[in-house]
Amino acid sequence: MSSPAGTPQRSWRSSTAVRRAIAGERIELATLLARRVIFVAGKGGTGRSTMTAALALIGARAGKRVLAIDVDAKGDLAAALGSPPAGFAPRVVQHNLSVLELRTDESFQEYLHIYFKVPRVTRLTPLARIFDFIATGVPGPRDMLVVGKIAYEERRKDAESSPVWDLILVDCAAGGQVESHLAAPKAMLTLVKGGLIRAQVEWIDSLIRDSRRTTVVLCALPEEMPVIEAIELNDRLRKRSGVAVDLCLLNRAVDVPVTTAHRRLMAALIDPEHAEEVARRLGGSPGPLEAGIDLQAHLYDTTARYMRQLRGKLPMPVVPVPFIVDRTGLTTTRAVAEALRGSLA
Amino acid sequence: MSAGDVAQISERRRSARAEASGLGRRLASLEVVICCGSGGVGKTTVSAALGLAIAAAEDKRVLVLTVDPARRLATALGIQGIGAEPVRIPKARLRRAGLTITGEVEAAMLDMKQAWDRMIERYSPDPATARRILRNPLYQRITDSFVGSHEYAAIEALYELHDAREYDCIVVDTPPSRNALDFLEAPTRLTDYVGSRLLSMLSGGPSRFGFRAMNYAATPFLRLADRLLGAEVLAQVSDFVQQLQLLYDGIQARARSVYRLLRSPQTGFVVVTTLEPGPFEEAEFFCAKLHEFKMPLRAMVVNRVLPDVFRDPGGVAAATTLVEDPKVTAWLSNALHIRASADTARFIGTTFLNRNTLAQREARQLVKLGKLGEVPVARLPLFSEEVSELDGLVRIAKAL
Repeated sequence: MSSPAGTPQRSWRSSTAVRRAIAGERIELATLLARRVIFVAGKGGTGRSTMTAALALIGARAGKRVLAIDVDAKGDLAAALGSPPAGFAPRVVQHNLSVLELRTDESFQEYLHIYFKVPRVTRLTPLARIFDFIATGVPGPRDMLVVGKIAYEERRKDAESSPVWDLILVDCAAGGQVESHLAAPKAMLTLVKGGLIRAQVEWIDSLIRDSRRTTVVLCALPEEMPVIEAIELNDRLRKRSGVAVDLCLLNRAVDVPVTTAHRRLMAALIDPEHAEEVARRLGGSPGPLEAGIDLQAHLYDTTARYMRQLRGKLPMPVVPVPFIVDRTGLTTTRAVAEALRGSLA
Repeated sequence: MSAGDVAQISERRRSARAEASGLGRRLASLEVVICCGSGGVGKTTVSAALGLAIAAAEDKRVLVLTVDPARRLATALGIQGIGAEPVRIPKARLRRAGLTITGEVEAAMLDMKQAWDRMIERYSPDPATARRILRNPLYQRITDSFVGSHEYAAIEALYELHDAREYDCIVVDTPPSRNALDFLEAPTRLTDYVGSRLLSMLSGGPSRFGFRAMNYAATPFLRLADRLLGAEVLAQVSDFVQQLQLLYDGIQARARSVYRLLRSPQTGFVVVTTLEPGPFEEAEFFCAKLHEFKMPLRAMVVNRVLPDVFRDPGGVAAATTLVEDPKVTAWLSNALHIRASADTARFIGTTFLNRNTLAQREARQLVKLGKLGEVPVARLPLFSEEVSELDGLVRIAKAL
């Protein structure tokens, strides 16, 4: 739940156990933003697009030229940035911030154009479909298009030959797809022994494995499956692709506990002795408010349990992101960015 | 939660039950119940609870076929592992958890790999072809990454189980997928895939009717593919494709029977959703598609609904005063003889108002949901579904 303006935010760090757990393993926001490519991954519904968009806003505000890439092309990322669906060409969303959506068809055309000098034609669809077919069975090619495009954007230079983008944020497709994306170069290197592709794959591979340039941010929710998936994804990513995973964001965290002071006041409010008097003064019966307190306490405990589980299993900072209740689109993203800035700075 | 709150919630649960008027009974006449919806809405839990509810309503032998249950749910159901034999949930355990069932319930977890292997064996014209496909290094990749491959495996397993007639009713939990529609389209997609012209081209001609060596120079497509991937890979693909095409007739025939089963009056779809915008939109879309595909929607289950108490007008008024009236703290301290800070009062108010915002949104969504189909809508309260013990599941089964 979002902490409304004016309410002091009691963070996780206020609990000793938690403080001990994260001592010395916080990531500086500046360190995170100094990366060139950040992959944001997590189970569907964990707020991946919102987190990607929030990090993009933070980066842009810090003066970085940011490109946000939506691998899923469902338009969620653009929506979270308050933009209509973007295309394959980067669309400027605000100062220092552009968004683009990857689609196999267009990715493929561009790939052929860039690397094989195949002229761009409008009707490459049959070729793309063949490619789709092969890519289904052969490890690598399709994923290579995705990481290849990302790597291409990373390397792009402007007229003064400085990089076009300082920071690229990638909203990965749901589930384990990020794994195959990131493992693709490695797989390709075992498959392709020589020729045109090999050199390209090698530099893409080196970009992915360079922990100073590339990192993964995991997203989870305080629920059983998303937490398990985040933990398992971290293990597999490290094992299979050698990519660095630097941060886990626990979305929808309820991070303000119910204290004895709250309980005491609540009990006094619903004390039958004063019931009529209180209801008259407040303009309604405070009875239902207890359900809110109970739910808050329950959600806080649930969040704490999953925070402990994540912190015990993930060798990285786990940062709670409060549940933003009453907003949508860009407003939510802004609120999340604000909260993230507070927890990471 | 406090005793008063629990009483309130259980009272609400009773009314929810009355509203759904026994989903178990309504679905008990069906042979196949397919639960679908967006990932993360508690589909697996609802499927398991539906299985229990059906067996409680009528003397049926029910199988709950899950795909990837959360560990605690698997434990609650007594499932040992993937692909293991179905496990019967002992009636005594259910009785202890508060549910008397007249029928029987078994639970099993589907093994995707096994389902695919069996399919290849079944549709291959001879054992040699099956062996050759199963051994092809590309085969595993294909079954893993082909869009809808999990869905197809689930449908196949369902079809076989239904065909075997060991159970009166099979409740299937569909695989978590980005798009719930993948489940409905899986059979067609597989048929298209195996029978596609592209595939013929790749295998060097109409290979269903004979083998021909692949000629890489034959088309610009293949020349390009060769350049991109290398001859070795293409040869592997080509071999795999040739073998796969031998299965085409079998797969096509099966796809037709599968659609017959999915459309039959003995089958029912249950759409499971939460009231969050994303899953809700997907549920709406799915209902529309079911209608378009002429597949019968029988019920909707809305999970994690906030209790009505959060829409109580008196509560809203009281909470608003606590948040907005700067003099209220002084008054409270005076009248209630309690030292309360402004922050404490505001916290209590805000906590309620935040939930109220969500509850209002949910109420609007519920009205929209009611218009999606002329089917019963069952509501499950928030937090009933983090199930770790069988009694949690029983509680949901009863609420259904």
